Amino acid sequence: MSSSRSIAAGPFTLTLTLTLSMQAFRPWENPLSSGTLEISPVAVGPPGWEVSTMSAGESGVQTRARAASRAVGISRVYGTGDTSVTALDDVSVEFEEGRFTAVMGPSGSGKSTLLHCMAGLDRVTAGEVWIGDVELGRLSDRQLTILRREQVGFVFQAYNLLPTLTAAENIALPLRIAGRRPDRAWYDRVVGAVGLRGRLEHRPSELSGGEQQRVAGARALVAKPTIIFADEPTGNLDSVAGAEMLGFMRRSVDEFGQTIVMVTHDPNAAGHADRVVFLADGRVVDDMAEPTAELVLDRMKRFGD
Amino acid sequence: MWAMTLKGLLAHKVRLALTALAVVLGVAFVSGTYVFTDTIHQTFTTVFTQVTKGIDVAVRTKGSYTTPQGGTVRAPMPAALKEQIAAVDGVRIADGSVTGYTQFVAHDGKPVTTGGAPTLGLSVSRYPELQAAGTLRSGTRPHGPDQVAVDAQTARNQDFHVGDRIKLLFQGPPGEYTVSGILGFGQADNLAGATLAAFDLPTAQQVLNRVGTYDEIDVVAQHGVSATALRDRIQAQIGPTYEVLTGKQLAADDVKTVGAFTNFLNYALLTFAAVALFVGSFIIVNTFGIILAQRTREMALLRCLGASRAQMLASVLGEALIVGLVASAAGLGLGVLIAIGLRKVFQAIGASIPSTALQVEPRTIAVAVVVGVAVTVGASLAPALRATRVAPVEGLREGTGPAADHASGRRLLIGSVITAAGLAALLAGLFTNHGNRVLGVGIGAAGVFLGIGVLSPLIARPMARVLGWPFARWAGEPGALARGNAERSPRRTASTAAALMIGLGLVSFVSVFASSVKASVTRVLDQSVVADYILTPSGGQAAAGFSPQAAARLAQQPEIASVAEVRSGAFKLDGKTQQVFGVDPAAFTRTIRTDVKSGSLTNLTAGGVAVREDVANSHHWRVGSTVPMNFPIGGTQPEQIKAVYVDNHLNGPYLIPLSEYEQHYADQLDTVAFVQANPSATPEQSRAAVTRATADFPNVQVKDQAEYRQQQENQVNQLLTLFYALLALAVVIAFIGIVNTLVLSVLERLRELGLLRALGMTRGQLRAMIRWEAVIIALLGTTLGLVIGVFFGWTLVHALHGQGVTEFSMPVRTLLLFVLSAAVAAVVAAVLPGRRAARVDVLQAIATE
Repeated sequence: MSSSRSIAAGPFTLTLTLTLSMQAFRPWENPLSSGTLEISPVAVGPPGWEVSTMSAGESGVQTRARAASRAVGISRVYGTGDTSVTALDDVSVEFEEGRFTAVMGPSGSGKSTLLHCMAGLDRVTAGEVWIGDVELGRLSDRQLTILRREQVGFVFQAYNLLPTLTAAENIALPLRIAGRRPDRAWYDRVVGAVGLRGRLEHRPSELSGGEQQRVAGARALVAKPTIIFADEPTGNLDSVAGAEMLGFMRRSVDEFGQTIVMVTHDPNAAGHADRVVFLADGRVVDDMAEPTAELVLDRMKRFGD
Repeated sequence: MWAMTLKGLLAHKVRLALTALAVVLGVAFVSGTYVFTDTIHQTFTTVFTQVTKGIDVAVRTKGSYTTPQGGTVRAPMPAALKEQIAAVDGVRIADGSVTGYTQFVAHDGKPVTTGGAPTLGLSVSRYPELQAAGTLRSGTRPHGPDQVAVDAQTARNQDFHVGDRIKLLFQGPPGEYTVSGILGFGQADNLAGATLAAFDLPTAQQVLNRVGTYDEIDVVAQHGVSATALRDRIQAQIGPTYEVLTGKQLAADDVKTVGAFTNFLNYALLTFAAVALFVGSFIIVNTFGIILAQRTREMALLRCLGASRAQMLASVLGEALIVGLVASAAGLGLGVLIAIGLRKVFQAIGASIPSTALQVEPRTIAVAVVVGVAVTVGASLAPALRATRVAPVEGLREGTGPAADHASGRRLLIGSVITAAGLAALLAGLFTNHGNRVLGVGIGAAGVFLGIGVLSPLIARPMARVLGWPFARWAGEPGALARGNAERSPRRTASTAAALMIGLGLVSFVSVFASSVKASVTRVLDQSVVADYILTPSGGQAAAGFSPQAAARLAQQPEIASVAEVRSGAFKLDGKTQQVFGVDPAAFTRTIRTDVKSGSLTNLTAGGVAVREDVANSHHWRVGSTVPMNFPIGGTQPEQIKAVYVDNHLNGPYLIPLSEYEQHYADQLDTVAFVQANPSATPEQSRAAVTRATADFPNVQVKDQAEYRQQQENQVNQLLTLFYALLALAVVIAFIGIVNTLVLSVLERLRELGLLRALGMTRGQLRAMIRWEAVIIALLGTTLGLVIGVFFGWTLVHALHGQGVTEFSMPVRTLLLFVLSAAVAAVVAAVLPGRRAARVDVLQAIATE
């Protein structure tokens, strides 16, 4: 686990390396829940690292939130040689805690690839991906799996639920895979927020598309992950169901402080977010705060130019 | 449409290969059986053509009847007949020959036994023209009362050389002989596993208890006289009592006798091959069902594009046809390998089979192809019909997934009817006397399996729920998901489990039955045998018996109170062959507890017979009635019933005194002797006395009751092992079915598996999920199999109550071991599908279409 490169990178990286090394000896433990890293004010972080350096007594308003996840100069190239396709080209981006970020871009812009790489579902060709305090490139498949289980929530466009399980069982699935029991109060709150209380014992085939997506949302939320990635969560829904889903995600951020990153091609959906990151040809081309559907649409139109 | 069929096949190579494997193994079993038995048959034809070389005409008495073992019982001919034949015009040489029991004793003093073949002594003609059968490998032909020639196989195995002094066992006292020569039989070293000791004719007549008689008279014709003409002339001369055959007819007749054996072997092996194919057909039904369900949309789309239902059906059945053909070809190839293996097994147990080329007859090829294709196409018919019933609109609908089984009412009806019909056929076969009972039992058993197989999807869900409970409870989320998966498509789970059900049903049935037989033997011994020692011939059931001399010497020992010899023979009554025991009534009643219902066994003297109660009742006989018994020697004798006794499962249907037996049978060998020690002698003393008295007869095994029981159990266990081995293939095929189903399920659920991986399930957890599903399916099949197997065993035990299987015994530990083994095997079966599941590409799986 340890390498000369990480030692040379400075005290912070060294600490991280040691923590991970210790976890290598205790593989049964979650690599992230144990050994909380103390980040000292003088920590030398990699470039782009936004560290809240507030100390007690300092009365300043926290202007920039800590990043739940960030990409540092990541590239993703599929294939080799002449047939290689660069899906992501030196992308650096960060997603702040407790915010709802939308990733937009035309087809083939690399937005889904970015989400897959950030979520630890795909490996980057170059660069680093961080979730919380962990760099994903260093993790084994097993550690990545456990990281996904503990720190990441997912909502896909379709096929989010296991057909054999009821809605309730689907919601509890990530926790049960981890061998944990859901926190009852939290579970009830989440279920209440999704508005599914009466439908919990139904199987996915008995639920509408919108209900299924909201079950997926509840499932992502119930494990209290560091970050939720949603890949076109409203793509298969009609406008009413889509609006419900977006409302649910918005509430998750506002009421529970959940971090959500959503890939979408729908300006209306992006309008619900706090921020929109625009991608084109595998690069970040724009970053919009406080978006509205109109602003997003205008920006999107310029891609055609 | 054919191009599409081929494309469809190529698109599902792996799945179809797994399906084909089930057919390949079954076909291989069938064709291997045919190749093997044809080869044996060819071998014997060669051997008998060799043995009858030089004989133009052979004379023997007409066979009175065949023994249950398939041999023909013939009375010897008076020696004077030879002179009568020699006087017939056209006869150049007429010489008698005899054949009977002779057993070698190895250098270490142990009797030489065979793997079931006879141990024979025979005469060698002094005429060179009649010596063509045996080819001298070394030394000289036996001459004089002191010489013996040995077959090359025995000589090699026992390290016998020309000039060695060796000991031989006969009906009479044993003797020592000098090996004069080693005999081969053409290319073969012996005659299909039999050990052969050859003497000159007078010596052979002496030691084989044939003084003044011949078993066969062989004739060489004068030049220019045809065998057939001479045969007719001799027949006319000596009359219809005797059978006169040309050399060729003799060879053909001998081959026919062996043919009965190879046919039996053929049918026995084919029965097990049929079981394997039956199990395989369940797998084909399942695989085609799953593959076609996965292609529902594709087929519906084709229907939208205008393909007729008949075209779709033809395409699917065409696919099955090709799979069947390919599997048959592969099975045939594998079958030849199996035949080679079987031949090696036979050689290993001592049957020298000359290197005849393996006989792959056109019939074998035809059977292999027909069976392979018929099973595959037949089994794919139901899934094909179901799949092609798809409405065109299905192709346009979102969300496929196999449709639920709606027709459960009809399934219940059909399944119940088949089960009931099978049960009826089974019980009719077991408990009534009509028609072909074995066939009835077989069809009935198949019907029960099929019926339960049809019903099983109805019970698969609740059973999987119950059997999966421990996994859901203790194996974490993978266990819970595994249970859910096992429950989700009951038809798939059920038909996978049903294949295993058949295999394990038969295995546990055999196990229960064997256990019951052992328990019954113990009970019979405890209840009916008073004897302290039981003497049996070594070599098991195949052994002819041992010399009565052993019993005679034993009876003289002061430590021994009583010796009851039992000789077994066959006679005919109303055209049917029956078994009779020759006994000394006084000694017999002292060692074997026999309840006499009427009359008295002490009255059983020459001209009398004692009859078992049930036999007497069925013939309406009572003491004083006469039974017209047709013996090999002496013809039909009116024997008067002196006693009627109660069945104790040892005393047999008919008893005659030894004096009577000696008059009617050529061979006098004790098949068993019961010995009672003198109460005044200690066990050590009596044992020593028995050992001393039988020292000269190394083929006599002395057992006390416990040892005898152990020996009987060992025999049952040996047979049990053989059955397990033959049923193993069916079980293996069933596990291939589990692999197949799980691989197909994994391929069908790739997205779901990807989702689970995305949600944080480790590869190990995915593998565990597949593993527990395999175990749940296996437990389902095993449970059903055990229930059916135990039921079959219980039924058969009741059906054979009259034949001495009085006890029903459940081998609980063995059955539990089966369950455990099945679970372990399921874990192994899950390795391949588990690996496939763990390899799932998360991104691909969750990608939207």
